[in-house]
Amino acid sequence: MGGYVGRYLEVDLAHGVISELPVSDETRRKYLGGSGLAAYLFFLRGKHTADPLGPDNDLFVLTGPISGTLVPGSSRFAVAARSPLTGIWGEGSCGGDFAPALKRCGVDGLVFVGQSPTPVMLVLDGGEVQLRDATDLWGLDTYETTDRLRETMAGKKRPSVLSIGPAGENLVRFAAIANNKHDFVGRTGMGAVMGSKRLKAVVCRGEGTVPIADPVAYKAICKELLAKISQSVPAQALKEMGTDSAMDLGMMIGDIPIANWSRGEDFELSNALSGPTMSETYLKRGLACYACPIACRREVEVPDGPYKMAVGPGPEYETCAAFGTMLAQKDLAGVIKSNEWCNRYGVDSISAGCTIAWAYDCFSKGLLTLEDTGGIPLEFGDVDGAIAMLHKIARREGIGDLLAEGSRGAARRLGRGSEELTAEIKGLEIPMHDPRGSHGLALSYMTSYRGACHKAHLVEAIEHGLAGYTDVGLEENYDGLTSEGKAPMVRIGEDLGVPLNALALCEFEMWCYQFDELVRAIRAVTGWADYSVEEYRRTGERLWLLKRSLNNLMGVTRDDDRLPLKIRTPVPDGAAAGLVPDEALLLREYYEERGLDERGRPLRAVLEQAGLAEVGAALHRES
Amino acid sequence: MSIAFPSEEWVTAFFTAINESPEYKEGGKPWTYGVTALVVNPQPEIGLTEAYGIWLDLHEGVCREAHHCTVEEAQTAPFCIFGDYARWKQVIHKELEPVKGMMQGKLKLKGNLQIIVRNVKAAQALVTCATRVPTRFLDEP
Repeated sequence: MGGYVGRYLEVDLAHGVISELPVSDETRRKYLGGSGLAAYLFFLRGKHTADPLGPDNDLFVLTGPISGTLVPGSSRFAVAARSPLTGIWGEGSCGGDFAPALKRCGVDGLVFVGQSPTPVMLVLDGGEVQLRDATDLWGLDTYETTDRLRETMAGKKRPSVLSIGPAGENLVRFAAIANNKHDFVGRTGMGAVMGSKRLKAVVCRGEGTVPIADPVAYKAICKELLAKISQSVPAQALKEMGTDSAMDLGMMIGDIPIANWSRGEDFELSNALSGPTMSETYLKRGLACYACPIACRREVEVPDGPYKMAVGPGPEYETCAAFGTMLAQKDLAGVIKSNEWCNRYGVDSISAGCTIAWAYDCFSKGLLTLEDTGGIPLEFGDVDGAIAMLHKIARREGIGDLLAEGSRGAARRLGRGSEELTAEIKGLEIPMHDPRGSHGLALSYMTSYRGACHKAHLVEAIEHGLAGYTDVGLEENYDGLTSEGKAPMVRIGEDLGVPLNALALCEFEMWCYQFDELVRAIRAVTGWADYSVEEYRRTGERLWLLKRSLNNLMGVTRDDDRLPLKIRTPVPDGAAAGLVPDEALLLREYYEERGLDERGRPLRAVLEQAGLAEVGAALHRES
Repeated sequence: MSIAFPSEEWVTAFFTAINESPEYKEGGKPWTYGVTALVVNPQPEIGLTEAYGIWLDLHEGVCREAHHCTVEEAQTAPFCIFGDYARWKQVIHKELEPVKGMMQGKLKLKGNLQIIVRNVKAAQALVTCATRVPTRFLDEP
């Protein structure tokens, strides 16, 4: 079988033992890899009630069959565990170069179990795999850690480094994991899980290759896919302006949240924070992940002033909104500095920015005072308060200890009516795409297995018209401002999008492809000669149902599929002025579409039909 | 009385609508990037035997000049947007936002994409002006 290099390793951090974890060919075909395989292994291990920051919460770091090949977009891998932020299924995916590096070491994936008594790192170098002491790295930020490890492991080939920063070490619930300096496993707090295990870093350097089942077909499909990308306008926009190309058009269609979700339009803000503005001011160059011609990453420099930064990673759209429009502040250099601290400390910039924006809102309403904030004003229009909060969050100092819980945890602890100012679903802060402007996205936020998530499916791209897949039952155009009839689109978007994090392929490349082209790439790499779009789609359904069922086992019910008060309140201006998604209609249609019962669980028959009979037995037994 | 799209009369009416539009005066103010030409691709079955170009000399919220042009002349403009008749009809009906249409590949842009993306408000205001021209489409009875 091509695509896989043949080994999964279980790393027992409590006892310092590394062993092989067998995974059958049948299992790999059924769950692919990445977060799909992670979910299945998580289910088999039966630890879904484990404390997310305790020794029994296993951490999965898995590539997929496409990872590390030359199929454009194949840089990615997934990390999964029970989330310390949400208490349910947690996963994040990441580009960069870690996935190909891990495969070159002859390893498809790693499962970390237990907790080390002291800080350690896992080093895969050539054929060797070792746990090594990382005490002298503990306390360093992610940039420092990466630089130090590259220095100590200098050689012909530069190693790829996964690391956590102080936020992960201090168990900030939305701590992230860095791959080198530019790429992050951002959402759901996987960095805190790593920190709870005292696992500071994973370092890979190898010379192996990824086997390809049909080299002739593989070469042909890779060439075709490159041509598709070169003709794609969204790919061109990403290349020229990064993901921040979304800012200008987003402001037109009611996509951009402003001042903690309280307003819908401000072109002065979007102009100041947009991709073209970044290109004209601070951009040095675009950078690419492994095997990607799009190169959407930004490298920036702020040469002087209070937010001075040496040449380094620049912000994505999500960060430009989270630390820009959400704080109603238009200093792009301030956003760049905020991004630098999010990266160094290792926090999810979405959850961090949203939690800080919640704090700003609380401050504006007198629910937080200068006494609470240690004398630091948190005022809309200003970014300095946010930067100060990042330092406190990473160290869990003062109010930082409250904010490190995420907006839901912080609001529950603070009380004072602050719960009404959060915008989270199942504990995950809503990303920077306002669901009041995209009702299909609202539905996928409500039902997604991570909580409010814009990446575990293709709904955002489909509803915004960035990707069109009309040969799989989707329409050509969707109106984001209507709720009727969105359930079929969301279901298809999920079934087609979910396997991307199992393969693992970048969504931006998928915007350029059609699914029959992706399936041809899968066939050429793996040798699964009869693999079809239908099988791919059934796999997506299976993975969605599996993760939903895991969440049900972890306590999720229909009551958790809801929009927060902030989103049930219309904005006064912009394209979505006066409108809110019809929550009841969206859910009613979706539950019927998906086959969910009144408690929000997949019906047993639906699970059995999807090849998840054992999951069905477990889920319906516990009721 | 409605005016056939595309035609010289339609272009003249569009020119008037742009310059009478307070939204375009405001939204188009940042536009200093030169002429935008629109090209309707040929569709012989509805009587459009060759591509029809519309030359719009737009500057700081004003249309300084508008005329019918050939596709060759249109391609000399710094920005040239090509589309099938059905797509332009969708744009004029406000069923297809033009920048979104470019991102979706339904309209083809020759020109600097960053500048276009930056000026979505101007594009939207131009479309609003087009909707004010009483239009008769060639594929309708």
